[in-house]
Amino acid sequence: MSGISATGGFRSARSAPAQFGDAARRMLAVSAGKAARTTVRQMGRGNGTAAPGKVALRIYPGMLASLASEIPHGAVLVTGTNGKGTTCRMLAEVMKAGGLLPVLNHEGSNQPTGLATTLLAQAGVRGHLAADHRTIGLFEVDEGSLPEILPEIGTPAALVVTNILRDQLDRYLEIDYLTSRWERALADLPAATTLVLNADDPRVACLGGDLDNPRIYYGIDDPAHSRGSGDPTSDSPRCPRCSGALGYDCVYYAHLGHWTCLDCGLTRPEPAVSASSVGLLGPTAARIELTMPAARSVVDVPLPGIYNAYNVVAAAAAAQACGLPAGALASISQVTSGFFRMEKLSMRGRDVYLTLAKNPNGYTEVLRALLGDGQPKHMLLALNDRAGNQQPDVSWIWDIDFESLTGLTSGVVVSGNRAADLALRLKYAGWTVSDGALADGAPGLAIEPDCIAAFKLALSRTPADQPLWVVSTYLVLWQMREWLRRNGYVGALWDR
Amino acid sequence: MTARITVAHLYPEVMNTYGDRGNIAAIVRRCAWRGIEAEVCELRIGDPMPARPADLIVIGNGGESGQALIAADLAEVKGQAIVDAVAAGSAALAVGGGFELFGKFCRPATGADLPGIGLFDSWTIRRGADLKSEVRTIAQARADRAIGDLVVRWGSELLVGFENHGGRTHLGSSARPLGAVVVGHGNNGDGQEGAQAGNAIGTYLRGPCLPRNPALADFLIRAAVCLRHGDVDLLPLPDDLEKAAHEVAVNRVLAAQAERRTLAARIRLGRRQARRQPEADVPAADAG
Repeated sequence: MSGISATGGFRSARSAPAQFGDAARRMLAVSAGKAARTTVRQMGRGNGTAAPGKVALRIYPGMLASLASEIPHGAVLVTGTNGKGTTCRMLAEVMKAGGLLPVLNHEGSNQPTGLATTLLAQAGVRGHLAADHRTIGLFEVDEGSLPEILPEIGTPAALVVTNILRDQLDRYLEIDYLTSRWERALADLPAATTLVLNADDPRVACLGGDLDNPRIYYGIDDPAHSRGSGDPTSDSPRCPRCSGALGYDCVYYAHLGHWTCLDCGLTRPEPAVSASSVGLLGPTAARIELTMPAARSVVDVPLPGIYNAYNVVAAAAAAQACGLPAGALASISQVTSGFFRMEKLSMRGRDVYLTLAKNPNGYTEVLRALLGDGQPKHMLLALNDRAGNQQPDVSWIWDIDFESLTGLTSGVVVSGNRAADLALRLKYAGWTVSDGALADGAPGLAIEPDCIAAFKLALSRTPADQPLWVVSTYLVLWQMREWLRRNGYVGALWDR
Repeated sequence: MTARITVAHLYPEVMNTYGDRGNIAAIVRRCAWRGIEAEVCELRIGDPMPARPADLIVIGNGGESGQALIAADLAEVKGQAIVDAVAAGSAALAVGGGFELFGKFCRPATGADLPGIGLFDSWTIRRGADLKSEVRTIAQARADRAIGDLVVRWGSELLVGFENHGGRTHLGSSARPLGAVVVGHGNNGDGQEGAQAGNAIGTYLRGPCLPRNPALADFLIRAAVCLRHGDVDLLPLPDDLEKAAHEVAVNRVLAAQAERRTLAARIRLGRRQARRQPEADVPAADAG
């Protein structure tokens, strides 16, 4: 009876004939998973957001499906390249305001093992969900794992897709490959599941084109933030129907905007839920006016940038798909920044903001959000590879739009085990080199691969009354945070 | 007199999967630092090659769909002009999927061959990873591809980069490889990497390859400048950051190689103490 594949994944055991011992295995799986969680934490080996699920799924591969089927209000899945975690946390606020009790997976633990870990924590000793009757699952789903997770969740109330951007090409391979896997997975989507799709992303808008499922499109309708007809960070998708070239009336970032196929005429669907006005209020806030068929709502969020406006409108559209009252939308304002999402720390009286950026569009949009007010900022930029499951391929930094952001930073410190690559990128973007003066490490730029030393250096370069902005790939942030924790400046990640 | 060169950048949107724009940035900046004006002309589907041949022709990497999209246009509209320009001394850089189409043909896992322009006496057979085939896991699709660091000996230089390709390229009898693989897979695992014909270079090196391999960048720039202005030497540049990034890449690769060898030796010896400590449970790195 092997449900475990050689690659460490799992198959659903739901289709196996019910047999004596299932209940026992299920109980054992839940107990072992819970024990694993305690062990991992006590050994100081991390937060145990995936290992317990892994243990439990090895004992009982059908565990995720059986626990998910017991959630009283079912589940909402949120997937896509960027914004899925933040969208989940915004939607969670609306659900709470609407009288539901959302259960979220730990941010980033968005593969089957992570979801299983989340549900394990809600299960009782007999291996059944011991959840309140108001409980609803709200799961961030890794885009590469969607085909494995979808069949485990029964009939999701909604499947929310944020965007499809270039990310970790060495891991997810080409975008076309990812979307074709999705399409095949969507072919078996239960008819009652509402598709909540970003109208501004042509690849997302056209997902599941043959399905009769209800669908709610969302998008942005504020021409004030148009970048014109193109963005250098776009990967220039072709028409999903005819592969023709797309033209844009306006682009908000990358390839997201108001698109039309110049060959077959396919065009952006009219969104039912739209951000009709977006106010970008500096590096830590935005005000979004939402327009829906029968309601309007204004939401103030403590998060910056056009990318967070997309998260707000995605959460609002998902709320509509769940039948939540429009009056609950204002509670999106209650959202707090997730870990490493403009996460604010206090360090010797100085504000430090930690922000994860792990793909070219994420990095670009974070920088645009931080620097959009034109006020020069003190920054630590970092890049690392491989260790901790990071990408060995750092070529994506050449697709970040550093070029348009020259001169908006002062005293930049560059760090991480690929600091040299990042510094080189900045040099070719014109950040460090002026004509005739080729001295590397020219005024303003310091290279310090060791992230703790870099952090101290960046702090020392930042005036006491100004914040330090840290933008980095994962591992550097994690190491920095560990150091801060050991020195008593922050609590453990999993205490949040 | 200001030296100037023209750069033809082929299909900039379609053939730009892995930071390929970095190669253009390297050419333009390294020219500018020397007072050379590099005029970049972007050529898309339907655009003919310029009447006066470009001094430097660049095509980046594209995915399978990108290759399929441009192959006919490249072969029918631009191919002969590119071959003629290189025969007359133009420099060229073709990376990944672009390199494959600069050979004679490219055979996908299913479907008809894509025509190449035959600049290189080479051809490419694609293994697996066909987007239209049955759904496979990412792990299965990855297994068909050559993914990882690539280090190549090119004359007295070491070139560093990253490779990620499903195509296996074979060189004909008249083709010359760019260099010998030191670490990685290269053309097809036979120890050869890329192709070189005159001043034209085809390679699987990405990363992008020119910023971290300034010698390769300057080879192309010098060839282009010499074509336009006669035999000249380029002003040397400090290249401190370039060398640092190059060194980091080489050291990383060699360290990983040494680690693998040590590990293999330990496994062979079956020494119990060789068991590695379990990795810390670092939270997943792919939060959205």
